[in-house]
Amino acid sequence: MPRPQPTPVTLTIDGREVRATEGAMLVDGAKQGDIEIPYFCYEPKLGPPVGACRMCLVEIEGIPKLQTACSTPVKDGMVVHTQTARVKAAQESVVEFLLINHPLDCPVCDKGGECPLQDISYGWGGGTSRFIEPKRHFEKPLALSPLIAIDRERCILCYRCVRFSQDVAEDHQLVLHERGYHTYVGTFDGHPYVAPFSGNIIELCPVGALTSRPYRFRARPWDIEGAGSVCTLCPAQCNVTLTVRDDRVLRVLTRDHDGNPGVDDGWLCDKGRFAYQSFHVEERIVEPLVREGDALRAVSWERALDAAAAIARHAGRAGALVGGQATNEEAFLLQRLFREGLDSGDIDSRAGGGVPLELERALAAPALQASVPDLEFAHSVLLVDCDPVDDAPILDLRIRKGVRRHAVALSVASARPTALDASAHHALRHAPGAGEAFLAALDAALGGPGDARARADAAGLDAEAVASLAASLRDGGEDVVIAYGERLGAGPRGPHALRALLNVAHRLGLDTGRAGAGLLAVPAGANGRGVREAGASPTAGPGLVEPAARGRDAAAIARAVEDGEITALWLLRADPLRSHPDQARWRAALARAGLVITHESVMTEAVREHATVVFPAEAYAEKAGTVTHPDGRLQRLRPAIGHAGDVRPEWQVIAEVARRAGLDLGVSTPAEATAQFVAAVPFFAGLTLEDIGGRGVRWNEREAATAVPAGAAAPFELDDPPVAAGANGSLRLGTFRSIWASPEVEISPALKFLARGPSAELAPADARRLGLADGETVEVGSNGTRVRASVALRASVPVGSVFLETGLAEGSATALEGEDDGAALVEIRPAS
Amino acid sequence: MTEVARFTHGSRIPGWDDAADLEKAPAGVPDPAITEVPAELREAIEAAMALYPDRRSAAIPALHAAQEHHGWCSPEAIEQVAAVMRVTPGELTAVATFYDMFETVPVGAHAVYVCTNISCSLHGADDLYEAMLAAAGDDAGFNVRSFECLGACDIAPMASVDGVYLGPLELADAERIVADVRAGRPPVPEKELVRRACADPGVTTASGPDAEA
Amino acid sequence: MDKLLFRDIDEPGLNTLEIYERRGGYQALRDALKRRPDEVLDQLLASRLRGRGGAGFEMGKKASFLPKGTMDKYLVCNADESEPGTFKDRELMQKNPHQLIEGMIIAAYAAEVNRSFIYIRGEYAEQADILDAAIVEAERAGYLGDRILGSELTLSLVLHRGAGAYICGEETGLLDSLEGKRGNPRLKPPFPANQGLYQGPTLINNVETLSTVPAIVRMGGDAYAAIGVENSSGTKLVSISGHVRRPGNYEVVLGTSSRELIYDLAGGPPEDRGIKLWFPGGSSSPVLTADDLDLSYDFDTLAKAGSMLGSGAIIVVDDATPVVDVALKLAKFYRHESCGKCTPCREGTNWTVRMLERIDAGEATPMDLDIMASVQDQIIGHCLCVLGDAMAMPISSMVAKFRPEFEAHIEAARERHGLSAAILSAAVPQPALAR
Repeated sequence: MPRPQPTPVTLTIDGREVRATEGAMLVDGAKQGDIEIPYFCYEPKLGPPVGACRMCLVEIEGIPKLQTACSTPVKDGMVVHTQTARVKAAQESVVEFLLINHPLDCPVCDKGGECPLQDISYGWGGGTSRFIEPKRHFEKPLALSPLIAIDRERCILCYRCVRFSQDVAEDHQLVLHERGYHTYVGTFDGHPYVAPFSGNIIELCPVGALTSRPYRFRARPWDIEGAGSVCTLCPAQCNVTLTVRDDRVLRVLTRDHDGNPGVDDGWLCDKGRFAYQSFHVEERIVEPLVREGDALRAVSWERALDAAAAIARHAGRAGALVGGQATNEEAFLLQRLFREGLDSGDIDSRAGGGVPLELERALAAPALQASVPDLEFAHSVLLVDCDPVDDAPILDLRIRKGVRRHAVALSVASARPTALDASAHHALRHAPGAGEAFLAALDAALGGPGDARARADAAGLDAEAVASLAASLRDGGEDVVIAYGERLGAGPRGPHALRALLNVAHRLGLDTGRAGAGLLAVPAGANGRGVREAGASPTAGPGLVEPAARGRDAAAIARAVEDGEITALWLLRADPLRSHPDQARWRAALARAGLVITHESVMTEAVREHATVVFPAEAYAEKAGTVTHPDGRLQRLRPAIGHAGDVRPEWQVIAEVARRAGLDLGVSTPAEATAQFVAAVPFFAGLTLEDIGGRGVRWNEREAATAVPAGAAAPFELDDPPVAAGANGSLRLGTFRSIWASPEVEISPALKFLARGPSAELAPADARRLGLADGETVEVGSNGTRVRASVALRASVPVGSVFLETGLAEGSATALEGEDDGAALVEIRPAS
Repeated sequence: MTEVARFTHGSRIPGWDDAADLEKAPAGVPDPAITEVPAELREAIEAAMALYPDRRSAAIPALHAAQEHHGWCSPEAIEQVAAVMRVTPGELTAVATFYDMFETVPVGAHAVYVCTNISCSLHGADDLYEAMLAAAGDDAGFNVRSFECLGACDIAPMASVDGVYLGPLELADAERIVADVRAGRPPVPEKELVRRACADPGVTTASGPDAEA
Repeated sequence: MDKLLFRDIDEPGLNTLEIYERRGGYQALRDALKRRPDEVLDQLLASRLRGRGGAGFEMGKKASFLPKGTMDKYLVCNADESEPGTFKDRELMQKNPHQLIEGMIIAAYAAEVNRSFIYIRGEYAEQADILDAAIVEAERAGYLGDRILGSELTLSLVLHRGAGAYICGEETGLLDSLEGKRGNPRLKPPFPANQGLYQGPTLINNVETLSTVPAIVRMGGDAYAAIGVENSSGTKLVSISGHVRRPGNYEVVLGTSSRELIYDLAGGPPEDRGIKLWFPGGSSSPVLTADDLDLSYDFDTLAKAGSMLGSGAIIVVDDATPVVDVALKLAKFYRHESCGKCTPCREGTNWTVRMLERIDAGEATPMDLDIMASVQDQIIGHCLCVLGDAMAMPISSMVAKFRPEFEAHIEAARERHGLSAAILSAAVPQPALAR
């Protein structure tokens, strides 16, 4: 759908000619002419202006009453006055009114020094108050949630926080109570405001009414520095500003308030906002460890590096898993070590199986890539096997924005109910693991060969619903974006599902290279795309070139360890016990391997029980390097703080181990690592760190992108997808990974409360049949493996399915996932 | 002078000084799987939702129905409405606390609104309100409130008793109203507004200006 | 004068369809449906009927602002009659609900709308029950629903009961409330005619305005416009209350003298007391005094006298009533009803009440009167909607017109409470410090 094109207009403000963009509100237009008009409630990120605070009143010639500059669009030839006696009187009035009940406790207020109310009172207020009555006093501060404190005395009722809850996050939890001068911000019946994006209200608050509990009284604005970086705790890769004091990160804010429109649109999730605490906790591993007997011992770097260099003796028998928090450079260097130094192509970064190179290339074709802003402006968005709020949270807000502001037609096809169902035109519930069958049915419904009805049946879907979705995608406008989760391509049938996806994209014309449409893959790991393009893949070398030899994927690596064909494992920010299916096999493999090298910051089970060499992992705030956003945007990490304890850069550790193992990788600075990586990838040709800059650059929009090798061409002939297993009294197991299921959440004191125990989401009808009640502890399992969980009844869960969480330290559903696919059948019974 | 208080138990507003209870789960849209709603209430809410192009428009009618069912807009009542309307209880709390007729603390079943706005007050409404309070005493069955202009200044001073407008009232009527309501009789029926003819002397009707409607 | 709105008002059973039809009801609708919608709209335009809710904007013009063409458009009847002193719509709905329904159908036809709502204040439970019954009757008789009386017009009508909030009488507050939200007024523009209910074009009119429509169709717009005076055509219901012998609703031709309304119709103050002040158009209108009784009761004359016709509600206050009591009552009302969305209204109404309380308690000085007047100036013209002005203008007018009485009140209260001037001076704000 067409996006607004900026047209310049010229207006006069305070006698100065100002050129502004047509349609901009006067406050923004004035900024373009370096004229500041004060305001509190205006915040374009929240949607249309509300004109509540009345701070921005200005005089416009030809209009008798003063007008709010926040809601008046600039017009050519407009003549505006912001300095007249009338305007000044109005501004002083509003400040005087706002300060009537404001406690002016700036000396003990966290906001002091960075407070719009302070600044505006000073800049535009009258400097005195004629209000001599007693101010009102409330209990303060009060907890609004474990993360946020509320001080109702300071609140000026600007509406920003409640508008965020209603109009951006759409969680509708934070509301105004009462009316008039009694109005206050609160929640229903004293429930805490806990929601994935709740922390944004702290940043939105123009006074000290909403403050971060973890940040309270930690620093004053003159104690701190801001450092730009990129959060690598999930694939959304939001651009952040880290608040640093004494080499510690004390706070995370969205970058420069407005964020990066190509990435995060100026919002952060609570994990990204508060998990900085994990950088500075006792639990963090900050020195190298080596196993001696049964125990891990802290050792010198020399010893640890030498111990790791012993991998040279496992040449030809070494495997590596690369996790999502690794940078492009780290993945690139590690695959070089493996392919060039250890004669091994057994390196994988996916949990669910390798993707054939010709498909990998087809999916990476620049013509097919959708960008994040496309989610906001497309005619239709289809989500396949993906719930953004868990998989890449900030995209959830972007999609909601598109639906709300640009009437994007959203459709969802997934096994588990998603947070976006309520916003969707179509919400299709296929059987767990039946994403392939759904896409195959959709392909047929879009005109491809095959029996759409039979395929819909195989997916456990109503054929009419698939046909209706097909019609809406086909006829609803040409800009269609399909975002899909990594689990779609998991398992032995994964490549079939991806072929079906490419077929659908082809039928909808998404492969023609039209801007504003295409595919968006949401990987499981934060830098999943980057590490694969850097060569951390059994089927592709750096730049998606044919590797010297194809290697084993993750599942095959586990089997090979069991079989004794692989004897050493390198886990670069990867934890197979949490993230990979077939936990039992991995546990056995880790136990069997003679050498297990890990880079970890947390004492996970894999580290504690199995690692032989542990390198302390860097926090992203300590890192230098690049990562690649799911939409192809290369982004740069810059160190904001020094390394904790004895932590060393991971690229350096890999290079050093390689040197000791006999391979000189030829890098001695992070910039050299980046240069080497870029040079190895043909479609990055000519790219420099300066090009990436502070906002990143989408490589698939650069000219060099044509260097992506051609992949297999759709349409493919599709196999008949397997019919989803009939539940037959047992339940189909579906899995998901919650936004909170991560070690960083578990060790951040402020976020710990969100890392809840495992739950089993169940349809009420199944619960009745099985005699289970909400909250009851049950055991879910198959073939003797059991996971304990508490029952969570959900009316939206389809009958016959149960959903369990993966990524947990204990009770992770990966224990129940077979190697085959995610659609295992399980039994459920009350815990004994 | 009578102040129309949103709350009769003092100037503090419930909630101002309250922190969130961190033991509670966040209040999203209640899951119908675990929220029981009385059938009659569900029916009333669904009927209201069907009247509007957007179901959210039914918030006020649905809260009226819930208040009638539960006696006040209790957290339980609000959760039930939220479950049927597929909204969060927070949204409904915002609405319920905005409007004077929704009771957000438990109250007596019989609503007596004494208008104490300007026209009634010029006719002694403040004393009438005191008289009503005194007459109801500590009878928990009554919810005596002073109210802003009820739109019946022609029968000042007046009160609305369980939705029925009565006036002009005298101080002595307070005792009678309480007695009648307790006895289940229509209170001071001869003072019901709906029985009055138009005051305009010039109106022409088939039956003449003094006819009773 | 022939009554238009109050024709048959006391006819027993007029609220039923049977009697209403027997008295010629729904004939105007039949006539209207024989013409094209734009012809009906022309009649409304020609009538120059000004909105009876308070703002006095021409109804026909407002209807003509709605975009043409097929889309979801709405007609909303504002029956949230809450302006203190006003009770005319109550009478119309209670006694003649079909007149309103007929007016709405005709207005919907003229504006090419097919969904309509009546937003009635929740306290009017009896009137709402009567309207509900009338709507059912009208639906059964085919006046509402699909293809009304065989015409192309389709119209649904839903009665929506509010829950007690003055601000919902403000048209955009009403729309938010009807959408199930808190009744906070919206920023204008966009105006409801372009983006109103559910973001669709919406025509909002008061009960009396819409109830007048059948009469306009019956007599023709030009004939209606000939009634009354310039810029104030037609008849108007005036609610007269306060210190008068015969409070009630009176239908008068606009341009009648105010003295005639207050004395001849309503009987003037009991016991022949004098009039200290009167509100000509509800409690939001700046007060007038006994000197203003000969003003013609019409939009322009009252505006010229510094007040307004507003909702057409006269509240008479006799000379035995302290003006401070009236001001405090009024200020407390607006503080209670302020929605809290915009700063000057939320804070200004509260501040005004606190100052008046001090004045009443003898804890003020004449300087506080200056501050109070200045606070009113800080409110006027600076708010999101007119509620703030609705307090500030009458309070301002009272301070201006009765300043000696305020000062005497302060003095008397101070003596009564035994407060010395010395103690007070400590409470007086100090001169501004230089920044």
